[in-house]
Amino acid sequence: MATKDMVISPVGRVEGDLDVRVTIEDNVVVNAWTEAAMFRGFEIILRGKDPQAGLIVTPRICGICGGSHLYKSAYALDTAWRTELPPNAILIRNIAQAAETMLSIPRWFYALFAIDLTNKKYARAKGYDEVVRRFAPFVGTGYERGVAISNKPAEVYAMFGGQWPHSSFMIPGGVMCAPTLAEVSRSIAILDQWRDQWLESDWLGCSIDRWLENETWDDVMAWMEENDRQYNSDCGVFIRFAQEIGLDTYGRGVGNFLATGTFFNHHEYNHPTIEGRNAALISRSGIYENGNYHDFDQANVREDHTHSFFKGTGELHPFDGVTDPVDPADGRKQDKYTWAKAPRYIIPGKGSTPVEVGPLARQMMAGKPNAADWQESDNLFRSAVESSGPNILLRALARMHEAPKYYKMARKWLDEINLHDRFYTKPVEHASGKGFGSTEAARGALSDWIVLEGGKIANYQVITPTAWNIGPRDGKNVNGPMEQAFIGAEIADMSDPVEIGHVARSFDSCLVCTVHAYDGKTGKELAQYRVNGSG
Amino acid sequence: MANVLWLQGGACSGNTMSFLCAEEPTAVDLVTDFGINVLWHPSLGFELGEQAKQICMDCATGKTPLDIFVFEGTVIQAPNGTGRYNLFAGRPMMDWVRELAAQAQIVVALGDCACWGGIPATAPNPSDSIGLQYLKRENGGFLGANFRSKMGLPVVNIPGCPAHPDWVVQILVAIATGRAGDLALDELGRPQTFFKSFTQTGCTRVQFFEYKQSSVEFGQGTRTGCLFYELGCRGPVTRSSCNRILWNRQSSKTRAGMPCIGCTEPEFPHFDLMPGTVFKTQKISGSVPKEVPYGTDHVTYMAHSAAARVAAPQWTKEDLFVV
Repeated sequence: MATKDMVISPVGRVEGDLDVRVTIEDNVVVNAWTEAAMFRGFEIILRGKDPQAGLIVTPRICGICGGSHLYKSAYALDTAWRTELPPNAILIRNIAQAAETMLSIPRWFYALFAIDLTNKKYARAKGYDEVVRRFAPFVGTGYERGVAISNKPAEVYAMFGGQWPHSSFMIPGGVMCAPTLAEVSRSIAILDQWRDQWLESDWLGCSIDRWLENETWDDVMAWMEENDRQYNSDCGVFIRFAQEIGLDTYGRGVGNFLATGTFFNHHEYNHPTIEGRNAALISRSGIYENGNYHDFDQANVREDHTHSFFKGTGELHPFDGVTDPVDPADGRKQDKYTWAKAPRYIIPGKGSTPVEVGPLARQMMAGKPNAADWQESDNLFRSAVESSGPNILLRALARMHEAPKYYKMARKWLDEINLHDRFYTKPVEHASGKGFGSTEAARGALSDWIVLEGGKIANYQVITPTAWNIGPRDGKNVNGPMEQAFIGAEIADMSDPVEIGHVARSFDSCLVCTVHAYDGKTGKELAQYRVNGSG
Repeated sequence: MANVLWLQGGACSGNTMSFLCAEEPTAVDLVTDFGINVLWHPSLGFELGEQAKQICMDCATGKTPLDIFVFEGTVIQAPNGTGRYNLFAGRPMMDWVRELAAQAQIVVALGDCACWGGIPATAPNPSDSIGLQYLKRENGGFLGANFRSKMGLPVVNIPGCPAHPDWVVQILVAIATGRAGDLALDELGRPQTFFKSFTQTGCTRVQFFEYKQSSVEFGQGTRTGCLFYELGCRGPVTRSSCNRILWNRQSSKTRAGMPCIGCTEPEFPHFDLMPGTVFKTQKISGSVPKEVPYGTDHVTYMAHSAAARVAAPQWTKEDLFVV
């Protein structure tokens, strides 16, 4: 079979980290494989180490999501050690997590995603000149502003964590810092600069409250026509151009979404447990499948390594997870093709299912009914997805939509810090226990499972958003979400299938990836694309 | 004008993310104002498609003059010395590194991983990771102790996990503006301008250190005291400028109440993260720090401590960093 030959074909790769191979027949993508090409073995390093080693080690898994790694590894220990968290500690962790995502939003859009829109392929599109003026790398007006403004939320992170990236200031029982008035008021000022000098002035062209009045896709369209400022904002220009070049018509994916949720109500999770987690979340967890919502339960998560460069086949729950690498050269002979495992979620009545994670998944959960008044509740993206299906434009816009929401939440949490109260409660360091911690990194659900025995780590398993999205086929040969998202993409110019690049970029994987496009009939390589990764 | 090629091996991209936080100059300024010509970088710049491999190949063969080769991440040698755990453009990254280092005027190891192996090289080092010219404190590394770049320099090590953005951009500017000769390197290949002083130099807690007054716990406990005595801070035994050139223009870990974890030193992560070593000061007979400040010894330290405690004014026992 021609497609299979291509997977193992030693065709020269341009770039490391992640290779995406797609097969195109009659101008339509018919198959795809994602191949992560680097392995460091962090889960192996953590075995036998100090229970708190994950606070130092896991942020170093990914430089762009380091704060998110810290956040969930601290909560994993909180559940394992049954700590008591003061309200202030929950608030500061929330603020730090939100700050990292607020940094990531403009950095991702301008430095990684939007430069693609300036591809000369679109030179004949009506909005092209304006898109180039704004989004061209290094020289675009939006590019320069967007990259510079992304530093602001990092300053807020540093106010509490000392530095970004790679602080380890969250610990079981709370946080290490005890901020003073100065840190809080400076954080407010910096966030307001971020809002005034980019979010409202450049991205939205209106107040954040005006944008957040949009409840349906029709509202968004009406918002754009409302006045020139909104029409000509970066957001307005992006939506119009995306529609003109059809980014709202493909990149559907598996259509199932998972969020583990993040941010806790500071009065609802002071004694963190695995079971009590869902009810305390501000940005809710859940699974959306075929119009139905299911509650998230970590017990239903599996990782399949049938097609990954690890010994054996099958799927395991992360508490029982094994990380035992094989030489990729031997793995190839067993139909293994990537260092990523294939995370799956057991949906009741449906079994292990690939699910998409990320901002769009989070916004689908925001549309879940029955939110408490302090939980995120927002129907915009659910209504958009249910009317048009998921696509590249919605995936990108869901992330941008979080900028005003996270700003508002972070501002509120800053106001709620009680500077005279505690920030930490010294925990009892139990010698054994099991913990689960999770968050929503900018690019999706990020979770740790920790098993402690005899005062050290017996097992540590991490599932990253990139693994959820770019993981390979499973034991039943069902494609991973990004693999599936490529399929069906129509390629206008067979010698330049830029459409594939857009799909890959819309997932914002942490890996730099190269897309290799092949002609399904002749097996000939058509083109290669480098997709800029962020971390 | 200086040609820069920047590659990543066993890396998290944290040094790139840190670099993007630079402001004087910014990453964009480096390109537009300082004549840094980034030939290729895994996360920045334009689509390069097939040209990426060609660019690297042209540098590796000497066709394109390579002024600065920046490497981020470890050199991965597993399995069995083949390097197949980290492929780049269809071949082991370690093969690229060997060829590119041989052509570069200056080789910069950016971050702990590239300098000494960092976290991936922590026991049991599953990826057989190694730094460019060191494995932990042992000179040699992937390129060998005798390696010199075309300009005659050993690998310039800019450690830290991650390296501070200013350390990177200022070294790049120095090289691009012909000041490479001004760079004085210490015995570990680190530019002394950033790594002669200690992490403690400029720390806001240094008065508590002077009078041997300890923070006893995290959170509200860090409103007073020094983190060295109980909470494992390595500020007095770590060379960095974290408290001279602040992070994100605002703070530092020790200012915020987080103990320095010694991430600019080759032994990071210290004690291989074995049980009982994380955020806890290692002690002899339950009270004396196992490691005393650089350049002193236990007897001198204890005499000094006793005198300092007697001399400690009342305010050193109270909260200083208050609301």
